[in-house]
Amino acid sequence: MTNAGRLKLFMISCLAPGLLVYGLFAIVPIVWSAYYGFFDWSGIGEPKYAGWDNYASVVREPLFWRALKNNIIVVGASILGQLPIALALALLLNRNTWFSRTVRSAVFMPMVMSTVVVALIWKYIYHPQIGVLNYALKLVGLESWTMPWLSDPSVNMYALSVPIIWANVGPYLIIFVSAIQNLPSEVDEAAKLDGAVGGRKLFSVTLPMMWDTIKVTVIMCIAGSLKAFDLVFVMTHGGPAHTTELLATYMYNSTFAVYRYGYGSAISTLIVLVSAALILFSQLLMNRRSSS
Amino acid sequence: MTRMYKGMIALPVLAAVLAGCGDSGSTSNSSQGAASGSASQGNGEKIKLSVWHNYSGDDLRAKTVRGLIEQFRKEHPEVELDSQPIPTDAYRQRIQTVAAARELPDVFMSYSGSFTDEFQKAGLIQPISELLEGNKEWADGFLPGAMDIFTYDGEVYSVPVAMSATSFLFYNKELFEKNGLSVPKTWDELLADVKAFKEKGITPIALGNQAPWVAQSTMFGVMADRLTGTDWFMNAIHGQGASFTDPIFVKALGYFKQLSDAGAFQEGANSLDNTQAEQTFIQGNAAMIMNGSWSISDWAASATQDQMDKVGVAVFPTLPDGKGKANTITGGPGGGFVLNAEAEGRKRELAMELIYKLSSADAQKAVAESNSMVMYNVDIDSSKVTPLFNEAFNLVKTLSFSPVYDLYMSAAGGEAVNNGLQDLMLGGKPETVAAQIQAAQAGTGN
Repeated sequence: MTNAGRLKLFMISCLAPGLLVYGLFAIVPIVWSAYYGFFDWSGIGEPKYAGWDNYASVVREPLFWRALKNNIIVVGASILGQLPIALALALLLNRNTWFSRTVRSAVFMPMVMSTVVVALIWKYIYHPQIGVLNYALKLVGLESWTMPWLSDPSVNMYALSVPIIWANVGPYLIIFVSAIQNLPSEVDEAAKLDGAVGGRKLFSVTLPMMWDTIKVTVIMCIAGSLKAFDLVFVMTHGGPAHTTELLATYMYNSTFAVYRYGYGSAISTLIVLVSAALILFSQLLMNRRSSS
Repeated sequence: MTRMYKGMIALPVLAAVLAGCGDSGSTSNSSQGAASGSASQGNGEKIKLSVWHNYSGDDLRAKTVRGLIEQFRKEHPEVELDSQPIPTDAYRQRIQTVAAARELPDVFMSYSGSFTDEFQKAGLIQPISELLEGNKEWADGFLPGAMDIFTYDGEVYSVPVAMSATSFLFYNKELFEKNGLSVPKTWDELLADVKAFKEKGITPIALGNQAPWVAQSTMFGVMADRLTGTDWFMNAIHGQGASFTDPIFVKALGYFKQLSDAGAFQEGANSLDNTQAEQTFIQGNAAMIMNGSWSISDWAASATQDQMDKVGVAVFPTLPDGKGKANTITGGPGGGFVLNAEAEGRKRELAMELIYKLSSADAQKAVAESNSMVMYNVDIDSSKVTPLFNEAFNLVKTLSFSPVYDLYMSAAGGEAVNNGLQDLMLGGKPETVAAQIQAAQAGTGN
C-alpha cells in the first residue's frame, strides 16, 4: 500500500466512529420519521399504511402555515435582533477591561439558566394583572398600552420573540468577541495609517474580515429558531387557540396531545425540508453579497 | 425536532434493553426468593409485578394510595413489586408511549372514557369481572352507574377509585354579601351578577385557561349539557343523527362567548394557569370560580382557615329553554386500575388482589377521608375532612352526572373544543368553531 493510501485508511478509521454515531442518532431518525409519515398510527395498535395522505393533509392544514409564519417571525426576530445586538455589544465590549467583562458575563447569564426559569420569569413580567411590564406602563401614564401580552393574538408572537432574543444573545456575543480579537493587528494599524477610523474602518475593514463568522452565525440562528420549542411551550403551549403555535410545538401537539404519530412525523419531515431550504437560501444570498 | 425523534426511537430500544435486564435479573433473584421462604407456588422464584399510577404528589390522596401499595408489598413478600408513581401531567404520555412499544405494566391506572376505550379496543387489557363476582358485597357498595363506563360487552375492566366532579361553582360568600348580591340560579342572574361585580372592579369569575382544558372541563361541558342534554352529546360524538354543527350546539358555544364578552373573566385568562386562577379566587380577588373537586384539596393545602370559611359551593345556573337536566355536574367515575392482557397464572391472581386492595371498601373510605371524592357509598368521618369538602361531597350526592367532554370525545375532537373555546374568547365565531369541532371529531372516529 502506498503512503497516501495508508494515510487515507487511517483517516477513514478515525472518522468512522464519529460518523457512525452521527448517522445512527441524527440521520437514521430523520429517515425513519419520514417513513413513519406514511402511516396512520395513534400510538396504540397497528399502523395503517396511508400513502401520501399525511403529507398532503399537513400541507393543506391552515394551522401548519400559521405555525410556519410564526416560525418565520421567530427566525426574523433572531436574525434582526440577536445578531445586531450581539455584534454591537461585541464591538463596544471587545476591550478586556473589568467593565466589559462584567457586561459580557451579564449578557451571557440567561444562557446558563434553564429555559423553564427564563420562561417563568417572562411569564411573570407579562402577567396581565401583576406583571412588571403592565405595572411600569401604568406608572409612566401609558395605561392605554397595557394589555394581556401573551393572550392577545395581535402581539403575542412579538412578545414571545423578546425573551427568545434576550436568552440567546450570549453565545453570539462570545463568538463575535473572539472573532474581533482574532483580527490581525497589522490590518488594524494599516487602516489607521490610511486614515480609516470610526464607521469607515468598521464597514470597510472590520465587518468584511468578520464576514465568514457572521455567515456561520446566521446559519446557527436560522437552525436554532426553527427548533425553537421549549420557551414557547412553557410560556403559552402554542396557544391560545394555536395563535403562538410554532412548527415544533405543532408537531409536538399533533403527536402527543392528539396521538397522530404519522401526522406528527410528516410535520417533522417537512420541518427538515423547510430548514434546509431556508439555510440554502440564506447561503446563496450571502455568497452573492460577499462576491460583489 | 430531531431530538424529539431520537427520543421516540430510543424509547422502544431502551425498553427492550431494560426488559432484557429485567429477565436476567429475575433468574438471579430466584435464589433470594427461595431464601426468603416465600410461599409462591413452591418454585422459589419471586413474582414480578409492576404497577404504574399518577399518585406521585405530596397531597393526602396520593400518600393514602401509595400507603395502600406499600401495605400490599408487606403482605406479599413473594412479590417483587415495582411501583412507579408518575406525575399526572406526564402520565397519559408515558402510558401511551409504553403502549406503543407493547411494554405496558401489569397493573396501571387508566382514566375512564376514551383513554380506557383505546386499550380495550386494542386488546391490551383484560376484564376483572370475576373479582366482582367473588366479592358481591363489595361490588354492591359502588354508587349507581359507577361501573358502566368501564363495562365493555358485559365484561367489567376496572372499578373507579375516584370520582371526578369537574364543574362546581365556588363563590365567595363575603363578596356576595357585601355587594348585596345572591348566588346566581339562572342565566340572567349570572349575567346580572357579572355586570354588578365588574362595575365594582371585582373579577366576576376567575379563569386560568392557558392549558385549554380548563374552560371546557369546568365550565363549558356543564353549560352545553344544560342546553343539549346528554343524549344529544352521545349521539354527536358517534355521528348518529346529531352533529356539532347543529344549531343547539352552536347556541351553547354562543352562550359561552356571551359570558366572555360580558367580561366575566379577568383579562388575559388564556395566559394564566389554573393554579393562578385558584389563588386569585381564594385571596378574595374574584367573586366566583368554576373548578373541580381538586380545587378543594389545593386550597386545603395552601389557604388559611379564614379564607376557606368564606367559600361556598353551588352548581352552574339553569339556561333558558335548555333541553338537558338542570341539576347536573360534569364528571362521574374517575380513573381505575386495569389489568394487562398479558398477565396470566399466579401473576394474574396477584394483580387482581392488588387491584382489589386499591379499590376495596376500606381503600375507598381512606381515599374519601383524604378529601377526595369516590364513587363508593362510604360513611366518612367528617372530623377528618374539611367542611368545604363535606359540603361539596353532600351536594354531589344530590346531583346527577353529565359527561366531561374531553373524556368522551376523541383526542382530536377534545383538542378542537379546547382550542375553539379559546378562539371564542379571542373573538372567534361560534359557527366556525362548531365546524372545526365536528371536522376534528368525525375525522378520527374509527
